[in-house]
Amino acid sequence: MSQIIRHTQSVCPVCLKRLPADIVRDGQEYFLEKTCPEHGRFSAVVWRGDAPSFEAWGDYVPPEDDGAPDCPASCGLCPAHLRKTCCALVEVTARCNLKCPVCFADAGGGSGEPTVGALYDIFRQLVRQGNTFVQLSGGEPTVRHDLPEIVAAAKKAGCENIQLNSNGLRLGADPAFAKALKDAGLSFVFMQFDGTEDGIYEKLRGRPLLAEKKAAIRVCGELRLGVTLVPTVVPGVNDHNIGDIVNFALRGSPAVRGVHFQPVSYFGRYPKAPENKDRITLPEVLCAVERQTGGTIKVSDFAPSCCDHPRCGFHGDFVVLPKGMLLRLTNNKKSSCCGDDAHLKNRSFVSRRWTRTDDGAPDPEGADYRDMDTFLKRVRSHGFTISAMAFQDAYTLDLERLRTCSLHVFRDGRVIPFCRSYLTSMDGNRAGT
Amino acid sequence: MDSNEKTWKCGKCGVPLVVKKTVFSYLGRTFTHEVQRCPKCGNVFIPRDLAEGRMAEVEQQMEDK
Repeated sequence: MSQIIRHTQSVCPVCLKRLPADIVRDGQEYFLEKTCPEHGRFSAVVWRGDAPSFEAWGDYVPPEDDGAPDCPASCGLCPAHLRKTCCALVEVTARCNLKCPVCFADAGGGSGEPTVGALYDIFRQLVRQGNTFVQLSGGEPTVRHDLPEIVAAAKKAGCENIQLNSNGLRLGADPAFAKALKDAGLSFVFMQFDGTEDGIYEKLRGRPLLAEKKAAIRVCGELRLGVTLVPTVVPGVNDHNIGDIVNFALRGSPAVRGVHFQPVSYFGRYPKAPENKDRITLPEVLCAVERQTGGTIKVSDFAPSCCDHPRCGFHGDFVVLPKGMLLRLTNNKKSSCCGDDAHLKNRSFVSRRWTRTDDGAPDPEGADYRDMDTFLKRVRSHGFTISAMAFQDAYTLDLERLRTCSLHVFRDGRVIPFCRSYLTSMDGNRAGT
Repeated sequence: MDSNEKTWKCGKCGVPLVVKKTVFSYLGRTFTHEVQRCPKCGNVFIPRDLAEGRMAEVEQQMEDK
């Protein structure tokens, strides 16, 4: 029997008009349900399972008001938004060297690109607003031959953390280009990595890519450029491979700094309207990590996002010890990453975890990791983070969650929450702002 | 001068402290570090640079973000 457990606001996936919505529990499944007077009723699963349970996940009190009445139609961080910018995403191109069946940015088209000078002005504007953590995204940023100049421009503008969102193909094929990026000031790479089997890439990206991914990791490792692996998790395609992805990443430490899972969301480009069987929710990813690593990593090793809404993500922090041993750090559920400076704490956290700082020298044989100095050296060099972010599409969009988003996209002079920025209607049209 | 290099006396026992490997517990994990300790009562002296430096970093790493 279903039970309404929360009222919230969402949009119609067809016309994107704002609608009242409910979170409805049916057994151990939770759905976001809404009815558009014109286009009918929609129900999308947002949580499956009770490990962890929907109610217990995150110490979060939802806002009493519904936010700005024109949210999300008119957006650009209004006073009703509850988080400041942690990471500002800047699109440097719409072009791509892949043509993936699934792409949140619907990349591959367009010819106009911002010049390096125009991008410098954007970086300056962001830095003036206190946004010193930028992610260069696209499209595929590495198709731009002047990307090292763009990184240098971000550095010159005062950006402290410059992250590259990339499929890694050019990084592996063109080590000189990767070196130029590193020399220009690139901090770390967020690399699309959907699995350890070529069949996964054939389904998701249109061709086998594993060897190219491994080459990219190798090149970045030689350059001491930290790489975080970013799998898009799609039920029936790579949800069986979650444990292998984690184990592959652990073997790659310290060159690989962690794994950031992104359960598939349906905006931009996707083959057909999603059914609930086409979705995987955060607790399912967490349980898969535990089950598929044979219990080496447990659900209890993770904590909810605090910089964003708890139902938007999780993170678990570890230290990789020699011989494959793993030390858990996230053993407390009470994170201090809340309040006005949550975005600053998270920025400092991800910078610490994703930047490679080791000197390459192995620890002495028999090193005692109970020794405070040895522990600190190891956690700095071999910190490893498993995290996830569940993006929201027009079917799952919950304005309560959207209001706590701290990942923002720079567009037309404004910063816009990620899921609002890429929100598309059922026919693929992007929402206006 | 590093405050750990000074020789301190125990305020309670009046005897000079000696440097000894000491076990610290924090959030379920134990760490060792050499600090000055009273050989009689076992009280330890935590110098400011240790408290604000390495111990604070351990706290930051253990407490997540």
